[in-house]
Amino acid sequence: MGKHLSEKFYTTMKKLEPRYPNKKALILPALHQAQEEYGWLPKEVLEEVGVYIGVHAAQIREVASFYTMYNLKPVGKNHLKICTNVACCLRGADDLMNFAEKKLGIKCGETTADGLFSLSEEECLGACTTAPAMMANDDYIEGLDVNKLNQYIEKMKVVK
Amino acid sequence: MSQQTLFVQHFWKDSNRTLAYYLEQMQGYQSAKKALTSMTPDQVIEEVKKANLRGRGGAGFPMGMKWSFIPKASEKPKYLVCNADESEPGTCKDRQIMRYIPHVLIEGLVIGSFAIGCKHAYIYIRGEYVNEAKLLNEAIDEAYEKGYLGKNIFGSGFDLDITVHRGAGAYICGEETGLLNSLEGKRGEPRVKPPFPAVSGAFSCPTAVNNVESIANVPYVIRSGGEEFAKLGKIDKSGGTRLISLSGHVKKPGVYEIQAGSMTLRQIIDELGGGIVGDKKLKAVIPGGSSSPILNADEIDVVYDVEPLMKVGTMMGSAAIMVIHEDTDLVKLLLRITKFYAHESCGQCTPCREGCHWMESILHKILHGEARPTDLELLVDVAQNIGGKTLCALGDAAAGPVISFVKKFRPEFESYIKGQKKYA
Amino acid sequence: MPKCTIDGKEVEFTPGENLIKVAKRAGVEIPVFCYHPGLTVVAQCRMCYVEVEKMPKLQTACSTNAAEGMVVKTQSDPVVKGRAGTMEFLLLNHPLDCPICDKSGECDLQDNSYGFGSAEMRHSEERRTYVDVDMGPVIEKNMNRCIHCTRCIRFGDEIAGIHEMVAIQRGNNIDITTIDGDPLKTEYAGNYADICPTGSLTLRDFRFRKRAWMLKKTPTICEGCSKGCNMEIHHEGNVAYRCIPRENMEVNKYWMCDEGRFNYHYTQNETRIIAPRSGDTTIAWDQAIQILKDKIDGKKPTFLVGSDLTQEELTTIQEYVSAYHSGSSVYHFGTEGVFTTADDAPADKILKMKSKTSNLNGAEKLGIKPISEMKSSSEVVLVIRGGRADLAPALSHVKGKKLVGIGVFLEKEISSFSLVLPGLAFTEKDGTIVNHQGKEQKIKRALLPKNTQKALSEVLMLTANKKAKAGAL
Repeated sequence: MGKHLSEKFYTTMKKLEPRYPNKKALILPALHQAQEEYGWLPKEVLEEVGVYIGVHAAQIREVASFYTMYNLKPVGKNHLKICTNVACCLRGADDLMNFAEKKLGIKCGETTADGLFSLSEEECLGACTTAPAMMANDDYIEGLDVNKLNQYIEKMKVVK
Repeated sequence: MSQQTLFVQHFWKDSNRTLAYYLEQMQGYQSAKKALTSMTPDQVIEEVKKANLRGRGGAGFPMGMKWSFIPKASEKPKYLVCNADESEPGTCKDRQIMRYIPHVLIEGLVIGSFAIGCKHAYIYIRGEYVNEAKLLNEAIDEAYEKGYLGKNIFGSGFDLDITVHRGAGAYICGEETGLLNSLEGKRGEPRVKPPFPAVSGAFSCPTAVNNVESIANVPYVIRSGGEEFAKLGKIDKSGGTRLISLSGHVKKPGVYEIQAGSMTLRQIIDELGGGIVGDKKLKAVIPGGSSSPILNADEIDVVYDVEPLMKVGTMMGSAAIMVIHEDTDLVKLLLRITKFYAHESCGQCTPCREGCHWMESILHKILHGEARPTDLELLVDVAQNIGGKTLCALGDAAAGPVISFVKKFRPEFESYIKGQKKYA
Repeated sequence: MPKCTIDGKEVEFTPGENLIKVAKRAGVEIPVFCYHPGLTVVAQCRMCYVEVEKMPKLQTACSTNAAEGMVVKTQSDPVVKGRAGTMEFLLLNHPLDCPICDKSGECDLQDNSYGFGSAEMRHSEERRTYVDVDMGPVIEKNMNRCIHCTRCIRFGDEIAGIHEMVAIQRGNNIDITTIDGDPLKTEYAGNYADICPTGSLTLRDFRFRKRAWMLKKTPTICEGCSKGCNMEIHHEGNVAYRCIPRENMEVNKYWMCDEGRFNYHYTQNETRIIAPRSGDTTIAWDQAIQILKDKIDGKKPTFLVGSDLTQEELTTIQEYVSAYHSGSSVYHFGTEGVFTTADDAPADKILKMKSKTSNLNGAEKLGIKPISEMKSSSEVVLVIRGGRADLAPALSHVKGKKLVGIGVFLEKEISSFSLVLPGLAFTEKDGTIVNHQGKEQKIKRALLPKNTQKALSEVLMLTANKKAKAGAL
C-alpha cells in the first residue's frame, strides 16, 4: 500500500495526538485533514487512515459514511450546498435551487461534466436570520437571491 | 421595555473579537480569576445554581444541577464538553458568540472546568462552522499565550487545556451522547441511558455536556453573583437573558437578546421583528426550532420562556422563532421538516429509522394528490407510534411537528387529499 | 434477596439483572430482537417494551435493571400497542420471502409478528432494497430481510474480535455489510447465522437443504478440539444437515467455531469406509475377523488409539489388551505436536484449543501414554481411530509395519492398511469425553450406523472369540 497522504497529514495528526486519551478519537480530525488534502476520500485514503489510527479499514468506512461532510465520491471544484430547510425555505430557497439547476444544467446531487460545479441540498446551516444561505466549499454565502447566486456562479466559472 | 443585555451589544463587529477588546470592554477573565483564586469549586456551582441558569441548548435543564451530578472524587479524569453543534433548524445564536466574542466562551470553560474538576475541555463544533472553528482556535491560542489557559492559571495551581473538535455534518451529534460517541471517533449514535454522562460520558469518564450560550453566561454569573443574575430574568426559575434567533417572514430577522421571560411571542415578532414582511397576515409560528409543536396566529400571546411555552403544549427549545405568513403552504413545509428528520435519523432504533421515512412518504403522497382518505389518520398514528418510543429525542422531535401541524391546520391537508388543492 | 413484581407475580432477583432475565424466571417470555445475553445491550429494536409503574414512558426491558419493589406489566394495553407498532415498522420493508427463506420456522421475526404484530398491512409505499455483497463461503447475505438489530455487528466486534461487519450510511439507508465485497475473515462466521433473527444472514452450507421444522435435534458435544463446545446435531431421515452451538456458560457460552460446526461432513462423506476392506476388496465381517485373528492371536501387537475415541471405547481397549494381549503397548495419538495436556493450550483468543481431538484429557486420565513416548513398535500395529485424530503423522512412526485400521476412515486414508474394519463416528454413538478443563461431557447418538459398521466393543469381542452382548455398542 503506497502512501497517499502527505507528510503534512502525519505532522498535523502528531500534534493533535497528545490532546486525546486514545488514537481512535482522532478519526474525525484525520478524515477532515485527509479530505482537505485530497479533495475527497477514496478507498485507499480510508485504508491509510485506518492504518494510521490502528483499526480495521471497515471501521473507518463505517464512521466516514455516517457524516454528510465526508465525500466518499469525488466532487466538483466548487461544491454549492444550498440550504432548503425551514427558515431558508420560507425565504425562497426552493427558487434558488431551481435556478441553480437550470443555470448549471444539472440536477441537485450531480456534478457538471467539466467538473467545475457540484450542487447539493443542505440541511440547516445556522444562517437562518440571513436566509437564504448556502455553502460554497467551506465558505458561507448568506442573504442570497437569484442575482447574487448568478453572479457567484459566473465568477467561479473564470477563476483558475 | 428596554432590555438589559449581556451579549448583543458586542456582536456584529469583527474588531470586537480581539483579546484586547475582551479585556478592556468586557472585564475579560476577571471572573475566572475570581473563581480560581478566591472561590472553591462548590462555591462556583452554588452560584450557578442560585443564578437559575437553564441550559440553552434545547432541554432547559438547570446547569448548576447538572454540574452537581459530577462526582467530586473520581479515579477517572472528568471532562467538560461544550456542545457547539448548533444544528436545530432556525437556530444561529451560538454561532454569533463564537465568531464575535469567543473569549467569553473560553472564560466560561475555565470556570466550569474548575467547578467540576476537569483538566481538558472539548468544544465539539459542527463541521459546517469552518470559519467559527478557525476563529475559536485563534482565540484559544491568544488565551494560551497570555496564560489564561495551560498550566497554573492565575497562579492558582489549576491547569486547563481546551481542544476544538470538529463534527462532520450530523444533526444527531447535537444529542449529548451522540456527541460523545462522535468525539470518541465513532458514528454519532446516541447511547442507551443509563449510564448517564455524569457517570460515564466521554471516554467512559464523568462528563458534563453544556451548550455554548449556557457556558458563555458563566463569567457573568460569577461577576454579578448568582442572585443578581437570577433577577435579570423576569420569570421564576429562569435567570439571565436569552438569545433568540428570529427568522422567517419578519421584516427584521436577526439574533436578539431579551431578559428571560420579559416578552411575549407576539411582542418579539412585532417589536423586535418589525412585524410581518409585506404586512401580510400571520399564519403560524414555530417557537423553538423545528422540533417544537407549531402555534397558530391566535396562540402567540404566551410569555416566551420555558415553562409558559410548555404549558401551551409546545417548547422553547433552542429559542429559534420561525414566523410564517398566510401565503405559506404548510403541507409542503411539514414535508420539508419531516424530510429533515428522516435524513438526520441515525437509524439505530426501529420507530425513528422506519417511521420517519414512512411519514415522509405519506406526506409526499398527500402533497402530490396521491393519498387515500385514511392516510391522514395513518400519518398521525405513525407519529404517535414514534413519539415517546425512541432511544433519543429525535423521534419526539420528528413526531411533534407532524401531530401539531395536522391538529391545528387539518383543513390544509384535507384539501390536498380531496383534490381541492394541487401542488404547483 | 430483593424482589419485584412481574404481571402480579413476585420474583426474586440478583441486583444487576435486567427485566428480561427476571421475567423469564417468572415464566414470562418478553419478545426481543437486538437483545442477546452474550452481547452488549443496545435497546435499539424497541420490541421488549414493558410498563413500569411510576415511569411515564414505556421502558425497554433489556436496558432496565430490576429494582426492589418495581412493579412491571408486560401485557398492558400500552405495551401491546407499543409492540404492535414496532412490528409494523419492522415489516414495512421486509420482503415476503418466507416461502423461500431458510429461516422460516425458526425465525424470530415470524414468531414475534405472529405473537405481537398485526395481520393488516397499512404500508403501500415502495420497499427499500439493497445490493448484496458476497461475504465468502460461510454466510449468505440477504440485506433486504435485515431488520437492523445489529447483533451481527456486535458479535464481530465483541466476540469474534474482528470489526469486519459494519454499518455504513445512516438512517433508513443503513447497509450492514463487509466493505467492498471482502469475505468474512473470522473463523466463527457460522455464529452470524445463529444470532440473526431473520433470514438476512444464513449458512450457505445449509441453504435450501431442509426445512427447519422437519429437523430432529440431538444434543451432543463437538469433537473438533479439546474445548468440547456443546452443540446440537440437526438431522432428518438419518442424515445430518447442520450443527449449531448449545448454551453452556462454563465451556463455550453461546458460540462455536466454523471448523467444529462443519466438521461432521466427513462422517457422511461418500468415500467413508463403511464395510470391511482387505486391500481393495470389500469382504464380509466373519472373513475380516478371521484375518484379524490370524494376525494378532497370541501375539503382542502395538495399539495406536486416537484421543478422538470416547472414555468407554478407550477403557474397552485397555480391558481387551490386558485380557488378551498382555504386554502389548498402547499409545494415544491425536494432534501432531500436542501429545499431552501440558502441550495443549488455547489456539486463539476465543474458543479453539490446539488439540484437534476432543478427548486428549480423557485418554491421559486413563493412563494411556502419548505416541511421542513410543520408541519402537511391533510388526503388527492396530490403529483405532474415532475419525478426527490426525492419521498421517501417527503412521509415520510405524512405517513398513503391518497396519490394521479399526474405526472411521476415508478412502484416501487407507492405502497403507492391509485390513480396515469400519466403526462408529461421533454422530453414531453415545459416550463420555473429557475436555481440557477436566469436564466430563456426554456425546449422544444422533444417527443410526449402517449394518455393515460395528461398534468397537463388538469388534473386539468377536476378535476374542466371545459372543457379543446383546445390544452392546
